[in-house]
Amino acid sequence: MNDGLTAAPGNRGLALVVDDESANRLVLATMLRREGFQVMEAANGEQALERFGETRPDIIFMDVMMPGMGGLEATRQLKILSDTDFVPIIFLTALHDDQSLVRCIESGGDDFLSKPFSFNVLKSRIVAMERVRDLHRHIAAKSRMLAGLLEIDRQEQMLAERIFSHAVNDRNVAADHLGILMRPASTFNGDVLLSQHLPDGSLRVLLGDFTGHGLSAAIGALPVADAFHTMTRKGVIDEVVLEEINRKLYRLLPADRFMCAFMATFSVTGDELRWWNGGMPDGWLCQADGVHPMTSHALPLGILPELSHGDAPRRRVLRKGDRVLLVTDGLMDAQDVAGRIFGQAGWPALIAGWRREHSLLGPLLASLDAHCADTDQQDDIGAVEIPLTGEIFGGADLGFNRSTPTGGACSVLLRDGRLAQPPSMAQLLDMLGLAQALADHLNILETIFHELYTNALDHGILRLPSWMKATADGFSAYYMERECRLAAGPVGSIRVDICHEPGPPGTIRISITDSGLGFDHDKPCEPLGASVKPWGRGIALVRELCESVNYYNQGTQVEAVYRCV
Amino acid sequence: MSISRKVDSDKGVVIISIEGRFDFSEHRPFRDTYRDIAPGSMRFMVDLSRADYLDSSALGMLLLLREHAGTDAGRVTIRGCTEDVRRILRIANFDRLFTLE
Repeated sequence: MNDGLTAAPGNRGLALVVDDESANRLVLATMLRREGFQVMEAANGEQALERFGETRPDIIFMDVMMPGMGGLEATRQLKILSDTDFVPIIFLTALHDDQSLVRCIESGGDDFLSKPFSFNVLKSRIVAMERVRDLHRHIAAKSRMLAGLLEIDRQEQMLAERIFSHAVNDRNVAADHLGILMRPASTFNGDVLLSQHLPDGSLRVLLGDFTGHGLSAAIGALPVADAFHTMTRKGVIDEVVLEEINRKLYRLLPADRFMCAFMATFSVTGDELRWWNGGMPDGWLCQADGVHPMTSHALPLGILPELSHGDAPRRRVLRKGDRVLLVTDGLMDAQDVAGRIFGQAGWPALIAGWRREHSLLGPLLASLDAHCADTDQQDDIGAVEIPLTGEIFGGADLGFNRSTPTGGACSVLLRDGRLAQPPSMAQLLDMLGLAQALADHLNILETIFHELYTNALDHGILRLPSWMKATADGFSAYYMERECRLAAGPVGSIRVDICHEPGPPGTIRISITDSGLGFDHDKPCEPLGASVKPWGRGIALVRELCESVNYYNQGTQVEAVYRCV
Repeated sequence: MSISRKVDSDKGVVIISIEGRFDFSEHRPFRDTYRDIAPGSMRFMVDLSRADYLDSSALGMLLLLREHAGTDAGRVTIRGCTEDVRRILRIANFDRLFTLE
C-alpha cells in the first residue's frame, strides 16, 4: 500500500460524494473515511447544491447520470457557487466515449475516472487534485493579502496627497496669474511648486524636484514648503531661505535623496529677478532682445551640510512684459514612442521661437502631448511660466507684522558695496512719517539700530571674530581688518525691516537679516556694569534699551522690540 | 545592462563598471560592489564609458558610494562619461563632489 497517500483520519477535509446508487456512495465513502476524509453524501444534483450550500466541501466526487439534475449541470452550478474559491470536482462515470469525457471537463470538472476504477489510481488522482487546490488556496490567500495591502497603500497615498496639497498648494499665492503645468507620474508628486509674497509684495517662486517620485520622493516637501512660506512671508532673503531648506533636507533625508530646485524672486518694483538654480534644467528668461538660459550653478539641496558661498543667487534686470519659464527634468526627458526625449525633439524649436508677447505654455502643452502620444508617463512633469505683470505681486503688506494692521512698516535691502552705508534711523523713521512723532526716541533708536546692524555686518557678512578686540592691538587690528574687508567689496546682503505699532505706548520693531553666517548670540553676555572686556558690549546695551531682543535662524536674523515710553 | 567590479588591492582602488542604463533598478547590484569593502579603506573608480543613461536615483547612488568611500576629494573618481551622462552630472554640479576624468 502506498503509505505516502494515507493520512490521519479526518484531517484531509470534507468530501462530498454525489451518486444516485447508495451502494456506490457507501463503497466510496468508506474508502474516503479510511483515507482521512470526512464525508457527506448527495443522491442527485439538487441535493449536491443543497449540501454545498450548507457546508462547503474541500473536494467533490460526481456521477454523471442521475435522476433529476445530472452531474454536468450540477458541476456548472457548483463552479459558479465556488466563485474564486477552488473546490476540485472529480467525475466518476460509467461512460467511456471521448465525447462524454470531454463534456465532463467542459462543464467545469477538473478530472475524471471511468468506472470501474482502481482505488489506488483514484487515491493518486485525489492527491494530485489536493496539490492543485492547496496551491490555488495559497495563491488566493496571498492575493487577498496583497489586495488588502494595495488598498491600504491607496488610502495612504490619498491621505498623503490630501495633507500634501493642503500644506503645500493651499498656501501658494498668485497661482491664477502663473501658467502652471504639473503632471505627477504617480498620485503623490515629487515635483513641488511653491509661491509666496514677501512683505513688500515681491513674488518668490520655487520649483523643486525630489529624487525619484511617489510618496518617498515627496516626503521632504512638507518641511520645504513650511520653511519657504514662513520665511518668505517674514521677508527673509533668498540665501537664508535656501540655507534653511538645505539644512532641513540634509538632516532629514538619507544620503541618496535630495531636491533639485530653482528659486526665483521677482522684486515688487518689477525691475529685478534674483534666481538660483541647483541641479534643475535651464530656466528661461524671455525678454525683448531674446531668450536667455539660466543654467544650474549650484548643487541640489540636501547633499552637503552647508551651501557653498559661491552659489549665491544671480541677478537679472527685468522689464515689464518679460516672461520666465521654469521646468523639471521630467519634461525634458519625456520620451516619445521611439524613445527620443522631448528636450532634444520639440523643445529647442519651441524655445528658439519664443517671443515675450505670447505665453509659451499653450504651445508647450500641444507639443508635449503630440510628443508623448501612445506612451506611458515615466516621471513627474512640471513647468511654470511667470509673466511679469502687476498681478503677480502682493499688495505691500504695510503691517509688516500681521497683528498690527494700523501700523506702518518699511524695508530696506542693502547689498554688496552698499552694505557699508546703511541708512540712518532718522531716514528710516522719515520713510514712515514718524520722524517728528518719535523725535524724543531717535537717539536711543539710532543706537539700537547701529549696534544690531554693525553686528550683522561685522560678524554675519565680514565674518570678523569678536575676540580680536580682546587686546588694544587686537582692537585696532580688528578695525583695520574691517576696513580692508569693506574695501575689498563685501558680498552679501542685509535686510532691515522697521515696523511701527501705534500705542500708547507705541512700539518699534527693528528686524535685521543678514545673508551670511549670522551672529553668535549664544555666547554668555555679561551684565554691562560688570564687564571689563573691551568687546561684547553692543548686544548687552541693546538688551538694556529694548523690551526684547531675539535671534532667529542661527543668528542670521535679529528682532528687537523697543517701547516708546 | 550590467554592473561589474574589479578590485586592485595593490593600488587600493576598486573599479566599478556600468553598462547600459544606470537607474534605480541597479540599486542593489551597485551597492553590492562596495558593501564588502571597509568604509574609507579604498579609492573608487566608477567607469561610465559604457553607460548610456543616468537618472537622478543614479546620482543618489553615487552619493551613497561617496559616503561609503569617504568624502575627501579624490576618493571617488568617475571616468569615461558620454556626453549625455556628462550633461546630467554637470547640471547637478556633481563635478564638485567627484573627480571627473
